[in-house]
Amino acid sequence: MADTQHLNRIVSYLKETRAQNVALSDVVALAEVTAESLQTFFETLDTTLYRELRDIAVYIDEMKAEIGALQANELKESRIPAAGQELGAIVKATEAATNTIMECAEAVMAADVRDPAAYKTLVDGQMMRVFEACSFQDITGQRIAKVVETLQHIEQRVARFVEAMRAKDLSGFVDDHERNRAERKNKFMLNGPASDGEGIGQAQVDQLFAPARR
Amino acid sequence: MAIDLSMPILVVDDYNTMIRIIRNLLRQLGFEDVDDASDGSAALAKMRGKRYGLVISDWNMEPMTGYELLKEVRGDPGLNRTPFIMVTAESKTENVIAAKKAGVNNYIVKPFNAQTLKTKIEAVFSE
Repeated sequence: MADTQHLNRIVSYLKETRAQNVALSDVVALAEVTAESLQTFFETLDTTLYRELRDIAVYIDEMKAEIGALQANELKESRIPAAGQELGAIVKATEAATNTIMECAEAVMAADVRDPAAYKTLVDGQMMRVFEACSFQDITGQRIAKVVETLQHIEQRVARFVEAMRAKDLSGFVDDHERNRAERKNKFMLNGPASDGEGIGQAQVDQLFAPARR
Repeated sequence: MAIDLSMPILVVDDYNTMIRIIRNLLRQLGFEDVDDASDGSAALAKMRGKRYGLVISDWNMEPMTGYELLKEVRGDPGLNRTPFIMVTAESKTENVIAAKKAGVNNYIVKPFNAQTLKTKIEAVFSE
């Protein structure tokens, strides 16, 4: 009712003053009337707007908390580089062990068998080196366990974040490098070693080649 | 057809360990002249400088894959008759079919044993 009264006042005033010159004081008075009439409207708008902005602020606070809980900096600067180092160490260890084992095999295969006693001594010595080299499996197993633990840690944190944020995946690639790698992988069928049940065995490969051999 | 044990063989793999394994297996089969390359482009360069009787190549290498190497070899009039065996961990049917279409002579899935390598080499030279 108050809003209508104010508007009616504006209309009446304009009707009264339309034919006359409008003074500055008239304009100021008109502005005051207008502002008064809109005050209620703005008060309503402020409340609605304030509520929505407050909801957004709360959401942003929650998101910041979840991002903090992700501990992305710790993952990036500590855990992931550490896992990478473990994997690098695994590659080195397996390579070293493999080379040692092959050296032993080569030494045995090249050995002179004419002296059986000397040959036995050599073989025994080389086989001991082989057993020692095989201890790499214990160390690499422990390193792999550490990497798996890191992956599980990352998985838990990402899963929590995704659930809290109700995150949805965007399609596409982060950058050109990622796109190029994906395209290369797809173009040249670079799948890598298959998991159990995924690839085919040599017998099935041979069947695929059988018709060509006729 | 009797296999010429003196023929040069080129082994292509980005893992030195695998090259060493294959070299030893080939030595056991009587092949002594064995060269190696770490990827398809290095292999291609070697093949254009020396005639090889057989190429044994991995698939997943950079910058050039064994699959690209195979297609380059089959597309080169001077090299396209070179016997080519793929030895790889790529064991999906699509890989095998693609290699066969590209003209590979035989395909060995890793891990493999000496008998398999021997059988496949013999099969290639009996064709």
